[in-house]
Amino acid sequence: MNGNHYNLNLKDILKKVFFVDLIQGLFITFNYTFSKTITLRYPDEEKWIPYRRFRGLHTLNRNKEGKELCVGCELCQKSCPTQCITVVPMQDKTGKGIADRIAYRWEINLLRCMFCGLCEDACPTEALKLGREYELANTSMQRSLWTKEELLAAQEIPVEFDGGVIVRARLERDDKGLKVIPDMSVQKRWW
Amino acid sequence: MATVKINGKEITVEDGTLILEAAKGAGFDIPTMCYHARLSKLASCRVCLVEIVGQKKLQPSCVTPVMHGMEVLTESPVVKSARSSMIELLLANHPLDCPVCDKGGECELQDVTFKFGPRNSPFGERKRRFHEEDYILSPVIIQNINRCIQCKRCVRICDEVVGASVLGSIERGAKTGETSFVKEYLDCDHCGNCIEVCPVGSLMSRPYRYQSRPWDLKGVDTVCTYCGTGCQLTVQARNGEILRVISKPDKGINNETLCARGRFGYSFINSHERFVTPMIRKGGTLEPVPWNEALKAIKDGLTEAMKDGRKTGGIASGRLSNEELYLFQKLMRGVFKTNNIDSGSRWNTGAVKSFANVMELNKGGISVYDALNADTLFIIGSSISDENPITDYLIRRLSRNKKMNIIIASPRGLKLDSSATLSLRHRPAAEGDILGGIAKVIYDKNMDKLKDLTGKEHLKNISRENIPDLTWTDWSSIESVSGFMLSANSITIAVGNDVLRGPSRIESMHILAEALRLLGKDVKLFPVFDRANQRGAWEMGVHPDILPGYSFRDGDGLGSEGIIDAASRGEVGALYVVGEDIVSDFPDGGFVREALRQVKFLIVQDIFLTETAKMAHVVLPGASFVEKDGTFTNQEGRVQRLRKFIEPQGDAKADWEIIASIGEAVEPSFHYGSVSDIFKEIKGAVPMYRGIDFEGLDGNGAIVKGSGIGGQGAGVVAGFSLRPKSEVRSQEQETPDPEYPFILITGNHLYHSGRLSLKADTLRDILPEAVVEMNEEDAKAMGVSKGDKVKVKGDRYEATLTAHINKRSVRGVVFIPENFTDVPVNMFFTKGKGFPRVKVLPLSSLSPQGRGPG
Repeated sequence: MNGNHYNLNLKDILKKVFFVDLIQGLFITFNYTFSKTITLRYPDEEKWIPYRRFRGLHTLNRNKEGKELCVGCELCQKSCPTQCITVVPMQDKTGKGIADRIAYRWEINLLRCMFCGLCEDACPTEALKLGREYELANTSMQRSLWTKEELLAAQEIPVEFDGGVIVRARLERDDKGLKVIPDMSVQKRWW
Repeated sequence: MATVKINGKEITVEDGTLILEAAKGAGFDIPTMCYHARLSKLASCRVCLVEIVGQKKLQPSCVTPVMHGMEVLTESPVVKSARSSMIELLLANHPLDCPVCDKGGECELQDVTFKFGPRNSPFGERKRRFHEEDYILSPVIIQNINRCIQCKRCVRICDEVVGASVLGSIERGAKTGETSFVKEYLDCDHCGNCIEVCPVGSLMSRPYRYQSRPWDLKGVDTVCTYCGTGCQLTVQARNGEILRVISKPDKGINNETLCARGRFGYSFINSHERFVTPMIRKGGTLEPVPWNEALKAIKDGLTEAMKDGRKTGGIASGRLSNEELYLFQKLMRGVFKTNNIDSGSRWNTGAVKSFANVMELNKGGISVYDALNADTLFIIGSSISDENPITDYLIRRLSRNKKMNIIIASPRGLKLDSSATLSLRHRPAAEGDILGGIAKVIYDKNMDKLKDLTGKEHLKNISRENIPDLTWTDWSSIESVSGFMLSANSITIAVGNDVLRGPSRIESMHILAEALRLLGKDVKLFPVFDRANQRGAWEMGVHPDILPGYSFRDGDGLGSEGIIDAASRGEVGALYVVGEDIVSDFPDGGFVREALRQVKFLIVQDIFLTETAKMAHVVLPGASFVEKDGTFTNQEGRVQRLRKFIEPQGDAKADWEIIASIGEAVEPSFHYGSVSDIFKEIKGAVPMYRGIDFEGLDGNGAIVKGSGIGGQGAGVVAGFSLRPKSEVRSQEQETPDPEYPFILITGNHLYHSGRLSLKADTLRDILPEAVVEMNEEDAKAMGVSKGDKVKVKGDRYEATLTAHINKRSVRGVVFIPENFTDVPVNMFFTKGKGFPRVKVLPLSSLSPQGRGPG
């Protein structure tokens, strides 16, 4: 056999001459121009709020009276497989916590954390939960060290909020870096 | 011997062995809660139940001894279910607040429950609750009775070992709680042994409260440096910060016990008052300099100061390690070519020499357990309950189940009196006369057998008539002590270092021991020291007349008193003081201050800026006991390891490094690289240490062996004068002065040792200010009660102190501890005059409160 044998008929020749395949493809693309957008416009306009089961940045919680639930028992520190948690307890008689023992220091090094959630399981008072904050990238190693005061602060996404939705968001820049601020009032489902 | 079968395994044990111990020996683990090896047996928790084949009921293995042919099952289904139910019952009322409980992680109940217990509980009732807030029982003890499981270990240890008996049980049945009688500060030893034995978190340490978790702590087993008992303790720290000291039940002579100083006296290590850089006096003030500059200043200063043939001297503390003391005496003798060295400045150098001699320290050490295995124990010259609390605890514990006559002779009433068969109260500094009196009675009764008694001519001075004047003790008490000694087969005589405060005819000790030995008794002499390495200091030769290994000689060297005397005459060019605060210690505070001003070049090495250091030309920062390696020789002659745990603070260095670098600065061949090198050299120089392996020293240490031939030891050196060189016996000739009716004595307080412990804030909380202790009758006569302010006035000094009452002290004596810087007790003393006379003036108007019974 010498060379290739092409079986050219008229239909194929005409298709090639008038770019029919190209036009068909462009037509699909053209159609999408008018269909509903499914791209998540993160971080400029939208943000995905995960479900409650999500394991993001740790949060330290308070009870209904506003008392710190953490008693500084150090079980989270003990259970941590990457040893990224440091707890130093102290005595406190001012009624800050639910017992007279509270955490003097509660620090987590997120550079080491693998978000396994064992600390959450170990916590006897449900003070420690892995929250829904996942934008943890930053430019300084020091900022990956989160302290008790930061983790005790009110969460951006309330605990009652179910999650699993996309909300409107806006990207903000300041000297510390970028921040995506959600607006919980405008929600939509992804699917 | 009994042969028993435990779980099918046949073992042979001694008769009377408990099933629990036999099972442990056979490798079976029986859980226990109320059982404690060294306390009386209670068998109240029933967790250790075992099945004995042929008996219907299960038996508690902690009180049931084995019988020959017994067959025991520790893992049968009945035992397992009974055990699990017992633990369930313990947990029925035990709050599950483990996350906030300090014991969590090292709790015996937790461990037992995890291993043997049920994993659920059917009890739905509310748990018993005594209180919401924990009780503060003392500056160091805090209690949560809700967690108590009624094992009564705290009650037993307080009663049987510590002897304070401040804990007890209230209520009955499920409502029982261990408590004190009042819900406020206990009048206790603050030793914290109840915390140590508590299996749950009912009794807890206050300084350690909510500081850490046991698994975060790293620890090191080391030796306590507060008194001569030489307890093993474990210092634990988190990230280099020392958080607590615990005792381990299987370590050391002290087992689980420690005293307040050992357990809570560690915080001076991290004290901000420590100075951590070398300092040189420049234009009147001490200014920090780097080490090389300080060493250069020392070298220059020494050459300058030693011109014109001035003397050099060195005084080292009995709290330094053997290696440091050896190096110190080598530096002084070898490099500075002087014998003017001494350890401590409180004592008469001549008395020390006789003491070391008559106590036969060169015969090698004697274990405290051997020493206490005697029919009669005679304690003299030591406020043993205050100065060596753990020796006191040991004696109390060991004498509980044994027929041992304890005889105590002391001017002060001691806690151990309650365990004593006979307590003598004598005048201060009359120890030698008491011993002589006893020897005299024994000699008179056995004159035919004691014809060859050496030194019997000394006994002629003692008679029935002059004993009451000499000792304030009547002849009949002396006779009864002799009676106890004559009826015993083995006698231990424990002599404390109070006899060194003035020359007090301690040589009578030798006559008494000789007499008893000639009568065929087994006599053991047991020294009791208040400084952790006092014995080591003498063994290393830190004494003008003792070379390393107790080679006694009569040299021209000066002791501390001689050095200070020479200094006052301006003869001392350079004085090197290591770890000793001579300004506050030397019995004549005013004199020593003047004398030190005359010293041309004063080097002081310490960890705090003491009164002496404030006068120095160069001060060097030493290391605390957890910051250096070394060995300590306790009063028994037991060599124990001091282990380095943390790096010295700032620029501070281990004391042996400083001594070595001073030596190297003056004499380049004086070079030492490590503690083990020095110890190797000690082994060569001191024959008693030859058999000791530095690296191999474990929790129990090693006891030094006698240096004599055939292991017999040298004993008292033949031909050695039994009399100290300088005899100061002013008191007995002195007629009592009605204006100054009291004799002032001093020593360590139970909560303090030296002045170092004042820097430990926990101990300062327990006893923050100086007290004066006096007899109850004397106090009543003056209308003084406990807590009142009184003024103590001597002819040279006066101070206002809080009165403490000791019911059993001898009348006419007041005691002021030597530990306080606000009342430097040595200011009352006059050099060479023995114990000073003082008067006490009540200042009752100063404290309207605090009046009442007791």
